[in-house]
Amino acid sequence: MVIATRPSHGEPRPYHFPSFSHERLSNGVDVIAVHLPERELLTGVLFESIGAGDEHDDEAGLTVLMARAMTEGTRTHDAVALVEAGERLGASIHAEAGWDALSVGADVPAERLGPALDLVAEIMAEPIFPESEVERLREERLNDILQARADPRRRAEEGFIETIYAPGSPYRRPASGTRETVERIDAGAVRAMHARRFDPNRMTLIVGGDLTGIDVVRLAQARFGGWAPSLSCEGPRQVPARPADHPWRIRILDRPGSVQTEIRIGHVGLKRRIPDFHALSVMSAILGGLFNSRLNRVLREDRGYTYGASAGFELRRAAGPFAARAAVNTDVTVPAIRDILAELEGIGERPVTQDELHAARDFLVGVFPLRFETPSAVVGAISSIVIHGLPDDELARYRPALEAVSAEDVTAAARSHVHPDEASILLVGDASAFLADLEAAGLGAVTVEREAATGAA
Amino acid sequence: MPIPTVAFSDERLPNGLRLIIAEDHLAPVVAVNLWYNVGSKHEQPGRTGFAHLFEHVMFQGSAHVGKAEHIAIVQAAGGTANGSTWLDRTNYYETLPSNQLELALWLEADRLATLPEALSQENLDNQREVVKNEKRWSYDNRPYGSWVEKVLAGLYPPDHPYHHSTIGSMADLDAASPEDVTAFFRLHYAPNNAVLSIVGDVDPAQARTWVERYFGPIPANPALPVALPEMSLPATLGGEIREVVPDQVPLARIIWGFRAPLFGDPRLDALDMAGQILAGGKGSRLHRRLVREERLAQDVTLFSMGLVAGASLTSGWATARPGIDLQRLEEAYWEELVRMTRELVSDDELARAKALTEADELGALMRVEEKADRLSSYATLLDDPGLINRMLPRYLAVTAEQIRDICAAVFVPDNRLVLTYVPAASGQAEEAAA
Repeated sequence: MVIATRPSHGEPRPYHFPSFSHERLSNGVDVIAVHLPERELLTGVLFESIGAGDEHDDEAGLTVLMARAMTEGTRTHDAVALVEAGERLGASIHAEAGWDALSVGADVPAERLGPALDLVAEIMAEPIFPESEVERLREERLNDILQARADPRRRAEEGFIETIYAPGSPYRRPASGTRETVERIDAGAVRAMHARRFDPNRMTLIVGGDLTGIDVVRLAQARFGGWAPSLSCEGPRQVPARPADHPWRIRILDRPGSVQTEIRIGHVGLKRRIPDFHALSVMSAILGGLFNSRLNRVLREDRGYTYGASAGFELRRAAGPFAARAAVNTDVTVPAIRDILAELEGIGERPVTQDELHAARDFLVGVFPLRFETPSAVVGAISSIVIHGLPDDELARYRPALEAVSAEDVTAAARSHVHPDEASILLVGDASAFLADLEAAGLGAVTVEREAATGAA
Repeated sequence: MPIPTVAFSDERLPNGLRLIIAEDHLAPVVAVNLWYNVGSKHEQPGRTGFAHLFEHVMFQGSAHVGKAEHIAIVQAAGGTANGSTWLDRTNYYETLPSNQLELALWLEADRLATLPEALSQENLDNQREVVKNEKRWSYDNRPYGSWVEKVLAGLYPPDHPYHHSTIGSMADLDAASPEDVTAFFRLHYAPNNAVLSIVGDVDPAQARTWVERYFGPIPANPALPVALPEMSLPATLGGEIREVVPDQVPLARIIWGFRAPLFGDPRLDALDMAGQILAGGKGSRLHRRLVREERLAQDVTLFSMGLVAGASLTSGWATARPGIDLQRLEEAYWEELVRMTRELVSDDELARAKALTEADELGALMRVEEKADRLSSYATLLDDPGLINRMLPRYLAVTAEQIRDICAAVFVPDNRLVLTYVPAASGQAEEAAA
């Protein structure tokens, strides 16, 4: 006989986020070691807490391109020799930059950590940025910009941020820059940025994995301890992420013939360092994070409008975007917009049920250990708290803090942070199929921009 | 670094369910992974996309689980759940805190035992629309989105079960009825057509008791295995296939397809190593020549997808930089493939490819979800879950001669499919300029 009764769960095994220690080298490099028993494939990441969000308008994309160019040759190895040296170690070595940081890292078997950190040090401190390789990376980024315009979802993301942020706000553009700014990048600009940003005083090395017999501080001292602290270095700019004063409330990027409409609805959101982060996390899960979130429930499971609907905040050092997202079949574009707006209004008005609250909290608490099976995930989480200037016990107290979130906290977070009346709507799709209905819906003035055909490169 | 070994038990319940358990107590998590030996290759003509649509229906409720409740229950237990469909198989999996193992087993057993009891026209219609939107999102409204369908249609003849993709056609999806769904379920979804792998922080005796309690009463289907049409194929295409595909893309892309040895065949290991040497990262031959040196391409790939009958497929592409001569790009890519068929790769190149493969494999096997998936995969497709411990040694044992020999068999003009995606007609551009 089939057993009808849903089993109850057993006693959970305790889980504690791995503890870690700091030690600062004399030149300011912060060294964090996190021991994860039996994880013999280590992750080591050296990062500097300054990123694309700290760029001047006219150099947009320079940080990301600089990071990519850092592996294109050093004083010791040319690009190919560098790649081969990493491969011989079985190490994937990567340099990358985002809004808030630039990092050079390696995943490597424990016994080869030292040689891998040699390469990390070289890439961070001694890149030579050959003209020809910088030029190639610039051309690749320009081609990628063309590709992004042709891909409805990438076009929607870019169209959305340029709709909600004011001119002069760095988050108005992709972190990798725009055609206008990327076209100007050359090796001289990259070298100049590297010179004025290189500062051991704001660098952090994090190594995670089975560190039995490994003295991370000694390894770090030998490789990074000799770098002179910078006195005149450019600091983070912390450019305010200003919202646009709504030149468009509803904007369509018209792609005749599109079989779906990519919908983005939202506004400028929040930075990571906020007092109600945990309530916000639970609220976001209920609104648009869980499979049974209010948005996915309505748009996918009730109506079949989409393969998936979601909403969330991208939390950065300054206020990143908040967006609800769905790709819907063209003929339901307007009803789908109405449904999304109704849920954005409802999250602050319709009280969160106990079922919703428990589902969201228990999900976030329960998946927390699932997220940290690998050293690279643990190192990534610790680097995030360093970048955002959060206390060392932020991750250890994550679960108790979440468990303490109440239904009232969730509603308060929704009312403080979700503002459908200030939201912009960005659509990428075939306007001819839904423009009349959209204008009749009375949601506000609609702007239609005809997309240049993507075939005309 | 020593290669870790995954120790596992492997047994069958009286009803035919294959149960594999591997302990890993490093983290308080457990992965439950259920593979059914049914994929899009089992679909009947006029019913393409059915295996995948059915996978969606599996999340729509069963006798004791409500619509869309499966994932909700798993998430509320602090876990994640999903499923996927491929040509040869369909799988369902959950990863949870280890104290929630019994719940996941109950959920999987309930839908295997009672799915048709909860099936309604309304739920089927809803998921049909969801799947059609998945097709629009993943294939139809995506640059180069038709490539999988075109590669499969080219490499496998029209009457071959691999000829059509898992997503199927809109018309066939529209034609699916609840009776079709129930018939499909009754035929393919039975314990003797499934492998259940449990990996993580578990007590094997306790896990076995639960599996017996929840899955034990579900009857086997004596009509299994299902007879498939003849699937064997000549090792090569027997003639080049070419197609120019205008699409809404700004950059042209040349996409290759080849028939390749079957999943599990050691020659496919050598072909995987060839893929690593040709296109695995920035040190690879194609990246170096086409992207870095000659600057013809924006990006390059080459990879194989293992299949169990007829032929596997090897595919790859080069995305053209604007304004370059596509013929030159195609020739340069092809020359690198041909070079592999004539010259042995160097010891250093092979050693680097193996070091990268080793790091990738060790990284993947740190995760209980990946371990469970591989155990189920090797058991379902090759009746050999122990391959989880032998694949890395096999890769590390591949020789330069084996790489040359398999490349010489696969990378021949008679075995190639070449799709050239080009920016669509200028009509659109004129319209935009008007």
